[in-house]
Amino acid sequence: MLEKTKVLALIGFIAIVGNWVGYDVSPIVALPGIILIVLFTIIGLGLNTLIPKMPAVVWISLIALIATTPIFPGNEWIVEKTGKINFMALATPILAYAGLSLGKDLESFKKLGWRIVVVSLVVYTGTFLFATLFAEIVFKLQGRF
Amino acid sequence: MRKDWKLHIIVLFFVFIGEAIGVKQFNLGVGTVALFPMLYVLLMGGIVSFPKLKWMNEVQMKKAAGILGISFMLFVAKLGSMLGPSLPKIFEAGASLAVQEIGHVIGTIIIGLPIALLLGMKRESIGATFSIDREPNLAIISEKYGADSPEGRGALGVYICGTVFGAIYLALLAGFLGSLGIFHPISLAMGAGVGSGSMMAAASGALAVTFPNDADDIALFAAAANLITTILGTYICVFFSLPVTARLYEWLEPIIGRKSKEAEK
Repeated sequence: MLEKTKVLALIGFIAIVGNWVGYDVSPIVALPGIILIVLFTIIGLGLNTLIPKMPAVVWISLIALIATTPIFPGNEWIVEKTGKINFMALATPILAYAGLSLGKDLESFKKLGWRIVVVSLVVYTGTFLFATLFAEIVFKLQGRF
Repeated sequence: MRKDWKLHIIVLFFVFIGEAIGVKQFNLGVGTVALFPMLYVLLMGGIVSFPKLKWMNEVQMKKAAGILGISFMLFVAKLGSMLGPSLPKIFEAGASLAVQEIGHVIGTIIIGLPIALLLGMKRESIGATFSIDREPNLAIISEKYGADSPEGRGALGVYICGTVFGAIYLALLAGFLGSLGIFHPISLAMGAGVGSGSMMAAASGALAVTFPNDADDIALFAAAANLITTILGTYICVFFSLPVTARLYEWLEPIIGRKSKEAEK
């Protein structure tokens, strides 16, 4: 847990640097927000060790969600501070680590046949397209847009 | 942790460069292709971890994959903090959110399975097309058929493709589909809420770049869709997707399956 906390803090630091370079938010302004986000994550992870039936990310979402709903004391301050962190700035490190882990699957990737590559493209297109299409149809039926 | 400091320094460096380059959009005539920091850092990472260069070893790459999971948690916490103040908005779109999940689930099977069969794949096609084959889905298939079964190999194949090009592909697809102007950004955002961390981050990022005015709503609805998939995904896979794909296979294979017995590896 201490280990994870350190890693979370480090990634948080990387994110506020990205937030600074990419979105012009000074790290000092972003600091309270990132501390809150790291805190939500740690609480979520803690709850996950207590009740592991629910995935850690669900716990984390739930904690962050509750802390920012109007019923939670100080929610306005929390929303304002976490709002200083652009969500894209937190996503960029994910893809950087993903890139650095990519090499381990490259050998097995080379051994795959072309058919499975085509099928995987179709599968990703299918999941994205159909979810979008179904959502759009319901919105249209409801006359939303 | 001490041994991983190199990884974090590299990521910090990548993020710095990537964010400094910023967003670049290219017009292809029919639509635009959006390039943005997430894609640059992914590519830079891919180069550094390229096996031939021997800059990184297997252990470090596995470590990076582990840290990827942790960094996704921070992303999720940020998205959660956007969900709280917008709950009424989410509930208003409840019907679409419920139905898009059906799209996520059957979208892989409906076009995936027939194409896999037309290409001549046999039982591999069940594993390959019953879901987007991320870690939880792999566990389900190896429990039912065994990791070394044809079904298991099909699932693993799509899994490997997913790690290698899933995020990049979904980002380009989301950005391109968005630029066509057929779908509303919110519907696309729900499509971006697929059950894989890096794919979802990249796809919703591409949409946010394509529709800068709707960036927050995109994050919001991608997060809501992803949360539904995370909560229900395993149950849907065990009780619906896998049995239905297996059934459809038995029915469709004699009709459109290739006669030749060559098995896909």
